[in-house]
Amino acid sequence: MYNNKKTGKLGIIITIVILILLVMLTNVKSNQMYTLGNIVNKLVSPVQQGITYLKNKISGNNTYFTDLEQLREENNKLKEENSKLEQAQREYEVIKTENETLKSYLALTEKYSSYKTVPAYVINKDISNYSKTIVINAGKDDGITENMPVIGNDGLVGYVISVTNNTAKVQTIVDSSSSTSSLTSSTRDNMICKGTIEESNVLKGTYIANDANIIEGDSIETSGMGGIYPKGIHIGTIKEVTNGKNKTDISVKVEVAVDFNKLETVLVITK
Amino acid sequence: MKKVLINLAIIFVFLIIYFLQANFFTGFRIAGIMPNLFVILILFIGMFMGKTLGIVYGIIFGLLLDIFIGKTLGITSIMLAVVGVIAIIFDKNFSKDSRIAIMIIVSISTIIYEIGIYILSHLIINTDIELLAFIRILLIEVIYNIILTIIIYPLMQLVGYDIEEEFKGNKILTKYF
Repeated sequence: MYNNKKTGKLGIIITIVILILLVMLTNVKSNQMYTLGNIVNKLVSPVQQGITYLKNKISGNNTYFTDLEQLREENNKLKEENSKLEQAQREYEVIKTENETLKSYLALTEKYSSYKTVPAYVINKDISNYSKTIVINAGKDDGITENMPVIGNDGLVGYVISVTNNTAKVQTIVDSSSSTSSLTSSTRDNMICKGTIEESNVLKGTYIANDANIIEGDSIETSGMGGIYPKGIHIGTIKEVTNGKNKTDISVKVEVAVDFNKLETVLVITK
Repeated sequence: MKKVLINLAIIFVFLIIYFLQANFFTGFRIAGIMPNLFVILILFIGMFMGKTLGIVYGIIFGLLLDIFIGKTLGITSIMLAVVGVIAIIFDKNFSKDSRIAIMIIVSISTIIYEIGIYILSHLIINTDIELLAFIRILLIEVIYNIILTIIIYPLMQLVGYDIEEEFKGNKILTKYF
């Protein structure tokens, strides 16, 4: 094993060269590796989608064996609730038309309806404990490109970092390398929300002005700065305010609205 | 012919581990932490299949993982190659029959792998360093990996020596004389 020192040295040199090449590859933005990623994903994504489909089926079926009595009771309760909701819906329609006429007087544009969205399923989650990117089953063929914001049912999820023809990689806001420029909804104070590896559903808000009015329970939304996220998308609520030794040392913990452990469907804002 | 089959099987095992890691373990965490089976796989390859294959498979699998889910290319690749090197050093100096030795080497390489990834991603993607949280996650991950190693250790030995004979020949004695 030790007799031919020459080949051993050659092996080491080749390894070093390969590693240096890798470091250079690292500096290539991963979107330039588009074709390679595409080929690999073509092979893997059908299996991924199949497994995710099966998993969703199985996890959805464990309520099948619940008591029939309970279901009947629930049914009656739901019917009651439904009629109440219908009533509320009618009232809502009236208020909506009233609102529209008032808005047209003020010449305000609609906030959310101007966004065009593409729905997608989460087909894969991160394999590491330290980063939280996800893969969704919509890609270039659905009109998705990089840097598009992604939202869930309850609020902001993240943005697209790379696409292939059928899939897209999304960096979530709870990932420790993302930072989101945000505002408190009531007092309009600016802060930067960063993801942490400590807790999976909490962001750390820093860079808060000295004279800011931070209240626990206030909701946080995107500020629209930075060019990726549009203004006014809900992020979460302030859970805890910590004051350090210095006056400038204020930081807050923001509980995100989206439950990232149970995230299954997302919307990609294309326009 | 047998070598080709073994290589294909290794790639197949890699894909199975990837799907396990991405779908199964995300719902099967200990204190919110997943294990890292890729380190164990590369250690296995490096120990039983010889010098170059450990590093080569480390680089290839790392690149694939970066394409699948990573933020930049290369970080996982470099660190898995390092794990391959660790496996070779271990193979030269220790016996693979000892269960304790395997457990220790799994924990050491998991620690080196994760610290390397953390430092590299701090340098390249500029993540914040949170030391306490990082150490907590790392410790739980190491424990999880050790538990998994104990479970699959008999399988590793059973398959491992067959593969070793195919790739290295019977060199166990010539090493010492």
